[in-house]
Amino acid sequence: MARKKAKKPGEANEFRAKKREKLRFLAEMEPRKMIIYPLAVFIVALLLLAVHFPPLGIDLKGGVVVTGYGINANPDQVEKWLSSELGVNVNVESFTSVEGTKGIRVYAPAGVDPVKIINLLKQKYPNAEYTHSEVLPTFGELAKKQGIKAIAFAFLAMAVVVFLFFRNPVSSLAIIFSALSDMTIAVAMMGVFGIQLTTATIAALLMLIGYTVDSNILLTTKLTRRKEDTIEEAYLSAVSTGFTMSTTTLGALFMLWLISTSPTIDNIAIVLIFGLLADFMNTWIFNAGVLRWYLSTRGVKA
Amino acid sequence: MNRKLKKLLFNWRIILLIIFLSGSIATLATRPLTFGIDISGGVALIAQTEHPVDSKTMELVVDSLQKRLNTYGLRDVQVQGQGNDIVVVKVANVTSAEEANALKKVIESQGVFYMEFDGVIFGTGKDITYVGVYKINPDNSWEVPFRISKTAAEKFATLAKGKAGWPVDMFLDPPINSLLVVPKSMYDLMNSTAFNANAPQAPYLVERIHDAFNITTIAYANQSAEELKKLADGKPIVLVDVGASLVDKLRAMNVSVRYVPRQSGVSDAELVRSVLGLYGPYSLGEGLANGVPQTDVQITGHAANRLQAEQEAKTVYTVLKSGSLPVKLKVIGMQFISPKLGESFKTQALYAGIAALIAVLLIVYFHYRNWKIAIPVASTSLFEVTIILGIAALIKWNLDLPSIAGIIAAIGTGVDQQIVITDELLGGEKLTKITRRSSTLKRIGRAFFIIFASAATTIAAMSFLLVYFVGTLKGFAVTTIIGVLIGIFVTRPAYAEIAKYLVGED
Repeated sequence: MARKKAKKPGEANEFRAKKREKLRFLAEMEPRKMIIYPLAVFIVALLLLAVHFPPLGIDLKGGVVVTGYGINANPDQVEKWLSSELGVNVNVESFTSVEGTKGIRVYAPAGVDPVKIINLLKQKYPNAEYTHSEVLPTFGELAKKQGIKAIAFAFLAMAVVVFLFFRNPVSSLAIIFSALSDMTIAVAMMGVFGIQLTTATIAALLMLIGYTVDSNILLTTKLTRRKEDTIEEAYLSAVSTGFTMSTTTLGALFMLWLISTSPTIDNIAIVLIFGLLADFMNTWIFNAGVLRWYLSTRGVKA
Repeated sequence: MNRKLKKLLFNWRIILLIIFLSGSIATLATRPLTFGIDISGGVALIAQTEHPVDSKTMELVVDSLQKRLNTYGLRDVQVQGQGNDIVVVKVANVTSAEEANALKKVIESQGVFYMEFDGVIFGTGKDITYVGVYKINPDNSWEVPFRISKTAAEKFATLAKGKAGWPVDMFLDPPINSLLVVPKSMYDLMNSTAFNANAPQAPYLVERIHDAFNITTIAYANQSAEELKKLADGKPIVLVDVGASLVDKLRAMNVSVRYVPRQSGVSDAELVRSVLGLYGPYSLGEGLANGVPQTDVQITGHAANRLQAEQEAKTVYTVLKSGSLPVKLKVIGMQFISPKLGESFKTQALYAGIAALIAVLLIVYFHYRNWKIAIPVASTSLFEVTIILGIAALIKWNLDLPSIAGIIAAIGTGVDQQIVITDELLGGEKLTKITRRSSTLKRIGRAFFIIFASAATTIAAMSFLLVYFVGTLKGFAVTTIIGVLIGIFVTRPAYAEIAKYLVGED
């Protein structure tokens, strides 16, 4: 009976074994290198942030956005025309939804009456569908403060729970640092790609805490609690699971990003993609390096 | 084989999943999902109070704002107080940008309401406990009945004893504690019997507002900025239709100043009313002047024609109904989504969800080359979404875009954890010649240790968001937490059983 059943997952196992072979180079890396490279990336991310912090979205800075769906126009021309009509500088960008509807977004500074912009656009594009939002700098200030508070508290809560679960300063700190580095790198990438920091992207950064901790806990548990395998074997099994986990999540997020035209969902998806890519490095290289180094100093055969 | 399948089906974890799943489907069938205004269309406004208020006052603000907006003729209004200074208003079924902006004005025009008699404030908006429907009489007179609190009634009875015909004034948002500088003609009007109803012997308006609100009124006679500053003595100055050129000078001298211009065709009397936020004066009826406290009172008036009578009565009605706002509000953020656009977001979210599920299915297949793993993983995720949506429908949660993001987050972690379970089950295959049963248990145990640890961290992180964050991210936190809870208590244990069955370990 047992033999017959063992055959079913056999195929899958064979395939997984191949994958593990491909990932073996990670297991053979020297722990010190595994720690240094991600640290270097983290520092580069910090430097990038210092030079080029992501722009604040209007919900954190204050301003007006008017979206017109069903407008097929050259954004630069609309920008020039609106700026001269309104007497203030506006930014216009265009987009296309997956069903093929074209539209534009007009960004104006706080205090401009959105209805005025809509009425101007209506003269040229009477059949478009308009939507607007308006945020005063006071609200932006408030949202910014709360965003910082939310991230700080969420991070602290995560750190406390991780400590409670592992009760080991080295593995806990490695997880906490990985999460911090994931977020830092994600924010730095936002800066590079000019993705705005908004309440939605703050939500994405918080979501990242959940994802990061997932893979790190998997790794730490496998490496420190697995007694039947060698560390290398345990690491390989963890990394192959982690690889599957990350690719499925990335696939789902990519679909989300591809299909949605809602800036909220788009931005959440893209920030999570950045964070997951960073997490791959931070978990399977940095954290693994720390743990392997730590276990070897404790006399466990690597 | 059959026996094992039966055993699987009667496993309590699977039964729990089936109960939740069928319950959710039944709920979704009978109770449609409600969507947030960023999907169904409408306007969301975030307003801030002039200064932080205590929770009781906040309750009052929320309550009266809700009443006011309902009075204004809107359905589907949601007013929510957050923290000590934020009020979130969501109104569905708003179709044009103009309508959305009008709403903003309604919220901001919410003032503080006072009832004054003989220079004494005897009640504020808080004291109005009920407002009845207004009535228009054939002679174009009108009446609005309302009820005031007992304390206000008692105070009023003492004040009004023997003063039949005296003026009762109502103010919405008067410029309390200020120096009012007005044209000579306007001053003369205020300092006459013009606002005295039927009691020439009562104190004039100038005197009444001075006693009640510490508003000092002076006639403008080309005073210099320095002179005005001295007269104001630290109080803010309101310049009505005079001295516009002094505004900058006064500001430079650090005096708070407001300039109210006169629109063309506005008479002195109208200007007085609009500057002071004055409604009335209404003449005190005989029946109220006998010193007996009466909580049921009414405001009456007379107009030239029926239409005008109706307008006056309606204004008074709305002011009374809504004037109980104890603090002023300022709209600091608003978002208007046209219903058509929201509809397209909804279909996109649906497509994106389906595409994400297919992507998960294909990628999991690609990793294991085994449909027997890929299909259960993807369908468990589908079940999970169904259950989250079922719960959302049950608690009438308004699904907004951040909530949808939260659901996606829950699916993402859900798939991750199913993979952890699968890999743990498959993982020891080579080595499981040693005591298979105990090692399976051990490996499942390890998988659940990972799952609980990550669920605990996610919930801990999200709870803070739920408690501390004001504004739009609550939906995200709520759905993520629901998703994680469903995951650890319902879908993950069930998946582990299914996986055990399919992987062939038991």
